Amino acid sequence: MAVIELKNVRKFYGALEVIKGVDIRVEDGEFAVFVGPSGCGKSTLLRMIAGLESIDDGDFLLDGKRMNDIAPDKRGIAMVFQSYALYPHMTVAENIGFSLDLKKVPKAEIRRQVEATAAILQLTDYLDRRPAALSGGQRQRVAIGRAIIKKPAVILFDEPLSNLDAALRVQMRAELQRLHRDIGATVVYVTHDQVEAMTMADRIVVLNGGRVAQEAAPITLYHKPDNSFVATFIGSPRMNLIPVMLARPGDGTVRLRSEAGWSIYLQDPGAGLPDGPARLGIRPEHLRLAEGSERDFEAETVVVERLGVETYVTVGSLEDPVMARLEGDVAIRPGDRVGFQIDRAACHLFGPDGQAFRRA
Amino acid sequence: MAGPNLRPPGRRNRAELGAYATLSLISAFCAIPFFWVLLASIDGNASLFLQWPRELTIDNYLRIFLVEDGTRWVLNSLFVVGTATAIVMVLAGLGGYALSRTRAWWKRPFLYTILLIRVLPTTALIVPLYKVLLTANNGLGSMLRAVFGNEMARSMLRYVGFIDGYLGLILVLATMQLPLALWIMKTFFDSVPRDYEEAALMDGATLVQRIRRVLIPLALPGLGAAGLFAFISAWGDFLLPLILLSSPELQTLPLGLFRAFLRVNTIDYGFLAALAFVYLLPAVIAFGFARRFLVQTFSGGVKG
Repeated sequence: MAVIELKNVRKFYGALEVIKGVDIRVEDGEFAVFVGPSGCGKSTLLRMIAGLESIDDGDFLLDGKRMNDIAPDKRGIAMVFQSYALYPHMTVAENIGFSLDLKKVPKAEIRRQVEATAAILQLTDYLDRRPAALSGGQRQRVAIGRAIIKKPAVILFDEPLSNLDAALRVQMRAELQRLHRDIGATVVYVTHDQVEAMTMADRIVVLNGGRVAQEAAPITLYHKPDNSFVATFIGSPRMNLIPVMLARPGDGTVRLRSEAGWSIYLQDPGAGLPDGPARLGIRPEHLRLAEGSERDFEAETVVVERLGVETYVTVGSLEDPVMARLEGDVAIRPGDRVGFQIDRAACHLFGPDGQAFRRA
Repeated sequence: MAGPNLRPPGRRNRAELGAYATLSLISAFCAIPFFWVLLASIDGNASLFLQWPRELTIDNYLRIFLVEDGTRWVLNSLFVVGTATAIVMVLAGLGGYALSRTRAWWKRPFLYTILLIRVLPTTALIVPLYKVLLTANNGLGSMLRAVFGNEMARSMLRYVGFIDGYLGLILVLATMQLPLALWIMKTFFDSVPRDYEEAALMDGATLVQRIRRVLIPLALPGLGAAGLFAFISAWGDFLLPLILLSSPELQTLPLGLFRAFLRVNTIDYGFLAALAFVYLLPAVIAFGFARRFLVQTFSGGVKG
């Protein structure tokens, strides 16, 4: 059992507040991912859970017990570092068994547990090697082995895949998920890569500027972002945000008029959204080519990226682009004028402060 | 060099020959003094000129250790320089770690200030240094005499005295070597990521365990390099033992060599050469041991 609760947690570096009152709850056995741009405080938050950074205000509870002042090794938490931090002067076996050795566990028992751990991670043949003689993926697995041999209730990962090449990263994502299913520990995983977050998480916490921007299941974040930050951070290519003027003709709809002059009508999301400037959010995959009366707007193509399976078309201008993601290979050339239809059911509306307004 | 060599083979050979000839000449120029020392030390009738010994003998070495006080000089030197080196390694290890990890505002000024000690010529420092040590020695002496009596105090001062005692020379030698060693260790620890210590902390290591099982093994190359520099430099120091030691039983190797050179009767080159050889051997051996660490330290920290 390991439920992680952060209650109004704050962190200061001198006068600078880097964590600005964060509330997060991670359920037992959940795979939670903290994601956000660099400097958003996600690593600091992870280190506060680990006990490597002090908590200046608020509470960190593990299964309801306050942990703020408990030493890192007494929290029942293991951590996998971004650099792996494998001790270069120890063999793989010594690295994995180091925590048991410190606890004065008998040598034979350490050996047995190290071998069991190595078997899970396919490291059996490498136990006598030094870390310098291992590949990146193997080092990664040793670092994980060092964490799981402690049988921790919580495992923290600090950007563990950022040092691996793209193909290995995909493989390690799958391995980490399998490992999580097998050992059942609560996992908190920090990354700046929203694809990692989307593919691995049970729950994603999007952080921005030391605050929680939104906390939800991956697919909820994709479909129902709370604000324009989450809307553009989750999903690739990122969501288009088109500045519009909002007006109510009085028939239960709102009229959105873009700066380029075209307009569309959406169902009125109701009170709280005032007339005036707003932003229309539409994901590239929710735009499709259209002609004649079907099309909502037309613009000049500036960039075309043909990937074969899909085609990214950027229209408008490079400063204020709108991107569409079209299925298959579409032969459009830069300079062509193309018309698009906007999927009304997939539109998001954001107020001037960036908050989302959902259709009722 | 890779790639085709466009010069004709004949000319290339001649160019290579020239290069090797020049290198050999320079090497010979550097090596001949050492060769002379080695030859003269086993020559029963050595002179100032390079000559092939008519008879090989180890008499000169036997004289150093059996007739003269050579054994005592070597042991004194090893003890004084070895202890100073050990002190430097401990202080530089701890201090270098602290200097690397702290973010205090005085870090840079402090680092440059201690380097100043290295820049000042020792000769210029001798007078104030002697004055300070003499005062300390007098104070210590009267204290010891009051507690242990005259006879006991005198033999104790031979070890813990600041003037004409081991301790004074050890401390001054260590002080002279510490700045460079601190710099080496600070730079070395800069290249050791904090992650290692934090990983050990998460693994449940206490402060002592973190130092002994993680930091010291990681710092070993740096400590080796810092210790080597301290040892070689302190081993070669002549001025400080000359000023600070006077009792014959405290004499170190360089002093023995110096005094042998000053003897009034004719200079015995064979004896001097043998003594010189004994003097330079430990430095070479120390270098041999620490060479690996040296390369590791100056080619960029911890790997793996």
